[in-house]
Amino acid sequence: MNWIRLDPITRKRFERFRRIRRGYYSFLILGAAIVLSIFSPYLAESRALLVWYEGHPYLPTFEYLTMETFGQAPPPAWGMEDLETEYLRLQSEWRLERDLYERELNQVGSDPAAASALESRYPNRSNFVIMPPIPWDPYQNDFWYNEILNDVQDRLSADEGAEAARLARRDGLLDLAEAIETGGIDAMISDPERSPTGDLAGLARTGAMPSLADLATVPPTAPDFRRRHYLGTDSQGRDVASRLLYGFRISVFFALFLVLIGQLIGTVIGSLQGYLGGRFDILSQRLIEVLIAVPFLYVVIIMAALFSPTFWMLLGIMALFQWIPITFFMRTEMYREKTREYCLAARSYGASHLRIIFRHLLPNCLTPLVTFTPFAVVGAIFALTGLDYLGYGLPAPTPSWGELIDQALQLENRDRPWLILAPFGALTVTLVLVVFIGESVREAFDPKRYAKYE
Amino acid sequence: MKSRGEALRDYVLRRVLLMVPTFLGITFVTFTLCQFVPGGQIDQIRMQLAGAGGGGEIGGGGGASVQLEIPEEQLARLSEYYGFDDPLPIAYATWLWDVVRLDFGESFRYSEPVLRVIADRLPVSIYYGLLTAFFTYGICIPLGILKAIKHRTNIDNFTSILIFVGYAIPGFALGAVLSNLLAVRFEIFPLGGFQSAGAEELGPLAHARDIVWHSILPLIAYLVSSFAVMTMLMKNSLIENMSADYVKTALAKGLSWRRTIFVHALRNSLIPMATSVGSLLGIFLTGSFLIERVFNIQGVGLLSFEAIQARDFPVVLGFLVISSALLMVGNLVSDLAVAFVDPRVRFE
Repeated sequence: MNWIRLDPITRKRFERFRRIRRGYYSFLILGAAIVLSIFSPYLAESRALLVWYEGHPYLPTFEYLTMETFGQAPPPAWGMEDLETEYLRLQSEWRLERDLYERELNQVGSDPAAASALESRYPNRSNFVIMPPIPWDPYQNDFWYNEILNDVQDRLSADEGAEAARLARRDGLLDLAEAIETGGIDAMISDPERSPTGDLAGLARTGAMPSLADLATVPPTAPDFRRRHYLGTDSQGRDVASRLLYGFRISVFFALFLVLIGQLIGTVIGSLQGYLGGRFDILSQRLIEVLIAVPFLYVVIIMAALFSPTFWMLLGIMALFQWIPITFFMRTEMYREKTREYCLAARSYGASHLRIIFRHLLPNCLTPLVTFTPFAVVGAIFALTGLDYLGYGLPAPTPSWGELIDQALQLENRDRPWLILAPFGALTVTLVLVVFIGESVREAFDPKRYAKYE
Repeated sequence: MKSRGEALRDYVLRRVLLMVPTFLGITFVTFTLCQFVPGGQIDQIRMQLAGAGGGGEIGGGGGASVQLEIPEEQLARLSEYYGFDDPLPIAYATWLWDVVRLDFGESFRYSEPVLRVIADRLPVSIYYGLLTAFFTYGICIPLGILKAIKHRTNIDNFTSILIFVGYAIPGFALGAVLSNLLAVRFEIFPLGGFQSAGAEELGPLAHARDIVWHSILPLIAYLVSSFAVMTMLMKNSLIENMSADYVKTALAKGLSWRRTIFVHALRNSLIPMATSVGSLLGIFLTGSFLIERVFNIQGVGLLSFEAIQARDFPVVLGFLVISSALLMVGNLVSDLAVAFVDPRVRFE
């Protein structure tokens, strides 16, 4: 581990990098974002972080809790048992109970009998659910707008006005809840002006009821803070913010793995070319010439079209090309370094070729490796996003920025700006950060001092 | 001692000879790749015949089930025609002989010779290639000069941030944003395509205007990330020359600063710009299938991408061979261009 101890020059380079603020802060921000993204399941997930139920904590992240656990009624249309709890619904149900309890407690005043009657009517008033900041997992299809309309409609049709009002209130449709409670809803629904189909769906379509008018009935839906789709939903009702986050994690780690593998192979081959020279050099140069002459992305698409690759397969296919650029730099560096005296000295002591290359020469040839790696990461993220956009990247339904861009370019989604601005913003910010880091690293490791004339 | 002309001739000859094994390698790899694929050529022909015979009922509607089977005898004839019966090396050699005579076979999709299909799309790609090259050089060289002269001033720092942000933005993603916002939402620009339907009948001036109108958004997408590399190359090369001894000497002898920089230093610092001349050949042909797809520009890039989707392998192979060959020739052209502008370069 001796070589890991930094020599003064390298230490000075790192010092210089820290002083270039644009790059250093980009590095800190991107680093923090990558570390945070590892914890995505706690940032964007449909399972609650914590459920407090009758004095006991539950951690749904670590165990499967059915609806029965918390006395949650399954959706009317389903009626199946063993469904997992819908935590977001549970949260709004309990929150509603607490609100109603507090409101009625104020009306009751200090009558102890009435207060205890209230307490038994609202048993869940002190339970609570803590959801992740984005309460959606990236694969979940949210057709809530349909569901809530259907649920409330079902209750209304069954003459359960109180329950219908409760459902409407639970989901924040306050004017609907009031209309149901005061009985005004019947007049509205039966008025063909306001509801041509004679039900809530018709009412939503004409916009006669403000809160219903906000409800689009089909995804993609615009950003909606009340429903906690901060960046809206995509064509399949999946939360865009959640998919962006997981897409970031996948793109960044894909790019890092790819660049790591590529630079590793490229460094070894480039070093051997430079050090050995001769026949190995000539033959491998011919191979490289073949590989750089074919259009890289095009061949990856051909292969992806044939194999429909998984994450690791795609990584392997792209690694076939990723290792090439760095070989040129390592090769020339090695050619230059191997003639230096310390190399001759090592050889005269009887050090093996491999030892000379990796122990003595390589640490002195690292500058191109360090300075080109950030730009290789940019290229890798770019390539993956492009492939995903073309439909030959990671298999659906993997969350991906490229796939979102593709959705945004479908004819029916062209006028839905959140679908394109979200992935574009995420992509641009990430790549700009990496480019700033790369530029500063280059500046720190390879500074050119110039004469300047005034 | 050989003359410079003789040395040049020998150098070009040697480089061209070295291209031969590389070219063989490229074609062999791609040919092998395309032969062993499911949904490859023979399946493709089978599907086509079945589709034609069954009246296009592959969707599975109607009452009568589509007969996908082709008589064995006919299949064998097809295989023979396309050389699938032969062992791989012979099939490859046969195909290569065709390629050398510029016969790339016939496109499955268009039922036309591949070369014709590609040539039909070429004008659009060349149009965008030329414009991109024109704007790249036209902006990068002056900007690089400005940045070199104003090194480490506010202008330099600001334009640096600008071009690096631009470098980080993938052109096709920016194109998607521009076309969704400016073309669809605000309806300022056309949605895509090379020209409006029926633009030819408007008269030459209106026609030209229509084409220019269609090319503004794609051009922005093509250009956004292309400034950084060349501008920095120009800047660094000029700065390097500005601190060279011959510039010091010129200044010391009393030559004006302006003349020293713009005549003596600039001429030498333009040499590295010549290295990218060869890669222009590639731009003309391939463009970017990402951007062409976003804007539905029917160029060679989009053609080659759709060929993969449609499993139109003659076009895929033809595109691969032509673009690889152009890239190799482009590299040679680059090297020669550098040698042409810089008499110090030796051929060895």
